[in-house]
Amino acid sequence: MRAWLHSVRVLVWKDLLQEWRSRDIVTSMLAFAVLSLFIFNYALELSPINRAEIAPGIIWVVMVFAGTLGLNRSFTAEQDQGCFEGLMMAVPDLSAIYFAKLLTNMLMMIFLAVLVIPIYSLLYNQSLFNWAFLGVLGLGAWGYSAAGTLISSMTVQTRMRDLLLPVLLFPLLLPVNMAVVKSCGVLLGTVAGQDIRGWLNLLLVYDAVVTTLSLLVFEYVIQE
Amino acid sequence: MSYKNKLLPLLSGFAFLLVLFAFIRMLFFTPVEQTMGLVQKVFYFHMSAAWVGMLAFLASAVFGLLYLSRKDLKWDTLTAASVEVGLLFTVICIISGMIWARPIWNTWWTWDPRLTTVTIMAFTYIAFMLLRRGVDNPIRRARFSAIYAIVGFLSVPLTFFSARLLRTIHPVVFGGGETDMNLNPQMLVTLFISLGAFTVLYVALLLHRARLMAQQEELNQLQAAADGSYDWGA
Repeated sequence: MRAWLHSVRVLVWKDLLQEWRSRDIVTSMLAFAVLSLFIFNYALELSPINRAEIAPGIIWVVMVFAGTLGLNRSFTAEQDQGCFEGLMMAVPDLSAIYFAKLLTNMLMMIFLAVLVIPIYSLLYNQSLFNWAFLGVLGLGAWGYSAAGTLISSMTVQTRMRDLLLPVLLFPLLLPVNMAVVKSCGVLLGTVAGQDIRGWLNLLLVYDAVVTTLSLLVFEYVIQE
Repeated sequence: MSYKNKLLPLLSGFAFLLVLFAFIRMLFFTPVEQTMGLVQKVFYFHMSAAWVGMLAFLASAVFGLLYLSRKDLKWDTLTAASVEVGLLFTVICIISGMIWARPIWNTWWTWDPRLTTVTIMAFTYIAFMLLRRGVDNPIRRARFSAIYAIVGFLSVPLTFFSARLLRTIHPVVFGGGETDMNLNPQMLVTLFISLGAFTVLYVALLLHRARLMAQQEELNQLQAAADGSYDWGA
């Protein structure tokens, strides 16, 4: 277990360091996210009243779309450089690779949220600073990365690669999307106060189930 | 998979007769619902199709697990065949539901949790078929299909419980409390006959489809052997 945790930590550090040196993915994700905010502005004709109601929906959709950029890249470095075999030999258990990639993707999503929320607040003059809101986004990012990391590890080995990821991933994300958007609406006070415990339970159960399932099946994805 | 199977034609004939029997019973020997009228009769096949869809997806997840543990391509064929048949029945379920919804809810479609989840479930399995098209290596395709069938199955309980846990206008047939449909005994008998008939039909279609897939695969290999260009590693 200690060796497992150690290799997860090293792998996350490696991916974050690699990303810090190039900053390819984070910059494109951020640019994409901000551009999406502008597109939403035109597409939805955001008046101050309906804008407040749909803020959590917009933030989450922007994160989901920008997140696919990161997910698509999360295994390409190893794939293109041909060092996947080395990685597989270096870890005590193959699930460590999955868990490390999950954490990296999740951290990038949260980093994106931390950047996008102030930008949204600034552009629309609506304060979204709320710890509970960020917490729910974090839980959503976990579920998103748990499913996304598994799917992207498969799509990177297919003929269509990037094309296939959203098609395979988005249907699986339905519970996350529902739970995040509904509970964030309540937390930000834009939807009349309902009990959000049901949604949070759904989110937690989803996160736990998908993470466990993926840890179990991941070795079948990468082992020929 | 053996191609000559004497039981399969018998099973197909039996399935056909059962569905015909359920159809006739539904049309002529089941009372008309008091408030909804004739259109309620679509319900018997609607629910049967929904049941078979979910059963088929459950079966595909089980076949997927069997493939991962046994590594026998026979299970992969069954996984893929079950998904295809399940998808067919899910589409039948959605369309028959729309036919019912038009007079009852006065709209073909509404963004109700049950309708949304069942459609997303269908999309999950459409994605499954796209995934299979995207992988050429049969072994890798089998592994990915098995994994996606297992993970994708999460959408099935979500669909099943959506009408029970979330606020919805979709009727709940059993154990729904206030929204329970209270079918009379005649209607219940018809419902169970159509559920049984559709289940037998599912098994027959599954075996036919799996057989066809196995033959297709063998044909591909023969053709490849004939022109010597079959690339196993791709």
